[in-house]
Amino acid sequence: MTAIRTQGLSKYYGTVKALDNLNLEVPENAVFGFLGPNGAGKTTTVKLLTGFAHPTAGEAWVAGGKVGEVNLALQSKIGLLPDVPAFYDWMSGREFLHFVGELHGLEQNEIKKRTEELLELVELKKAGNRRTGGYSRGMRQRLGIAQALINRPKVLFLDEPTSALDPLGHREVLNLVLRLRENTTIFMSSHNLSDIERVCDMVGIVNKGQLITVSTVEALQKKYARSIFELEFMEDATPFVESLKNIPWLAEPAIITGNGAPMVRLRAVDIDRARKELPRIISESGLTLTRYELTLPSIEDIFVEIMTSGDKQ
Amino acid sequence: MKGFAPLFKKEIREQLKLYRLVIVLGVFLLFGLTSPLTLKYLPEIMKLAGDQGMSIQLPIPTAAQSLASYAGDIGQIGALVAVLIAMGCIANELKSGTAIMTLSKPVSRGAFVSAKLLAVSLTFLVSMVIASLVCFGYTVWLIQGAAVWPFVRLNLLLALFLIFCLAVTMLFSSLYKSSLAAGGLALSVIVSQGIISAIPIVGKYMPGKLLDWGTNLLTGSDKTYWWAFGITIIAIGACVYFSQRFLKNRDL
Repeated sequence: MTAIRTQGLSKYYGTVKALDNLNLEVPENAVFGFLGPNGAGKTTTVKLLTGFAHPTAGEAWVAGGKVGEVNLALQSKIGLLPDVPAFYDWMSGREFLHFVGELHGLEQNEIKKRTEELLELVELKKAGNRRTGGYSRGMRQRLGIAQALINRPKVLFLDEPTSALDPLGHREVLNLVLRLRENTTIFMSSHNLSDIERVCDMVGIVNKGQLITVSTVEALQKKYARSIFELEFMEDATPFVESLKNIPWLAEPAIITGNGAPMVRLRAVDIDRARKELPRIISESGLTLTRYELTLPSIEDIFVEIMTSGDKQ
Repeated sequence: MKGFAPLFKKEIREQLKLYRLVIVLGVFLLFGLTSPLTLKYLPEIMKLAGDQGMSIQLPIPTAAQSLASYAGDIGQIGALVAVLIAMGCIANELKSGTAIMTLSKPVSRGAFVSAKLLAVSLTFLVSMVIASLVCFGYTVWLIQGAAVWPFVRLNLLLALFLIFCLAVTMLFSSLYKSSLAAGGLALSVIVSQGIISAIPIVGKYMPGKLLDWGTNLLTGSDKTYWWAFGITIIAIGACVYFSQRFLKNRDL
């Protein structure tokens, strides 16, 4: 089943194409990462999918309902954390969650139960009776997530959910996303590459309003695999690196001295041959091998490569 | 109107938490108190100022004068207060992002707008009731001879006019994220209709004529402005309708 589908979804502001011809399908219970630099069209997409912006062209369906002019039935099935969550400053966190529960038409007992559960979940129980006007940015972000979850949404939109969080809060939010994936489809926009890599099953990369690529994280890593080998030895490997320069199916062998021990990094021109023959060549060199790794590119590597090459699938 | 009840409850709490009721009541009470007091004691204040070679003869104050003075102040300053209080009602929520937080829930735009208008109207009604009771009480105590029913009807007309001012301001508040822009435009509409209301033929259709009608009640004149009454009610409804339409059609 598809939780989110768009067909030619576009949004223009005059001559500026904030989003251009977005065709996307997100399966149920997937964590979909929508990745792109600032101004790429991520927030515009979230607003279009939640009905807060009107498309110039195209259509979208979320949780089985068509996104259109104020679809209340659809809004009861979704949860939204905007990029900058805002609250009524005079309300406490607990009061705000109660208010949101009432807006969803939940029973009073259910509202009380959900409020306490969610305050516990986002670790705001102690601060629950404090006015939201006094909350830090991280606390506001966590309360924003809690209010988006009160109706147990089928589809949850998180627009830059970790943007204002300290490292601890950052990790907690990502753990929360991992826990929610069992019952909820999550559409998470971010420019934080490591977040997407850590929690998302699928990733879409958007730039200048255009979807560049959409794929599973693994498939993307395979596609952009650069066949980089990293080797570490106990001895000086300079002569060994010199000898590798004569092998035609290897390229760019070099000794890298970073923060840790010096290592040899090389690229395989023919990956299958390198996999078979490189261990033999190392063995014949007489050096003591302490690390041998065929590295996969990180999402960050792929993102930078896509952005710089302008590759489009 | 899905979601009206929780939104209305929240708006009522907001009137108290943000001191809107206190502010409006304070302003209205000031006029409720000062109108009869000024009228009663102005001759004595002038006597205390001493004879500066001039002799000013002030007429004996009447209850109708006191109540009309109060009505005039509320009609003018009350309209200004209405604009100041309502200009940020929606605009500030659009600007801060709380509108998105609320409207991403299953609530209609109509409920969002009408809950706000009803709550702020109640603030004005409560303030008017208290201020008018004070004004009437002081007038009876200091001047005597005040008639109850004309004053009650005057207040109802005043209240309708102020609700019109609130609705117009809220309409512009839903159009702009700047509360200043909303307030400025609302004020220009209210002032314009006030000027037009003084023009023969078209003037009788303007909501501002409700204030003249109210004064007529105090002076015993039979002149009524039912057209202005009907048009004001229709205008309030139209403001609510278009306000929620603007919220539906605009990108938030």
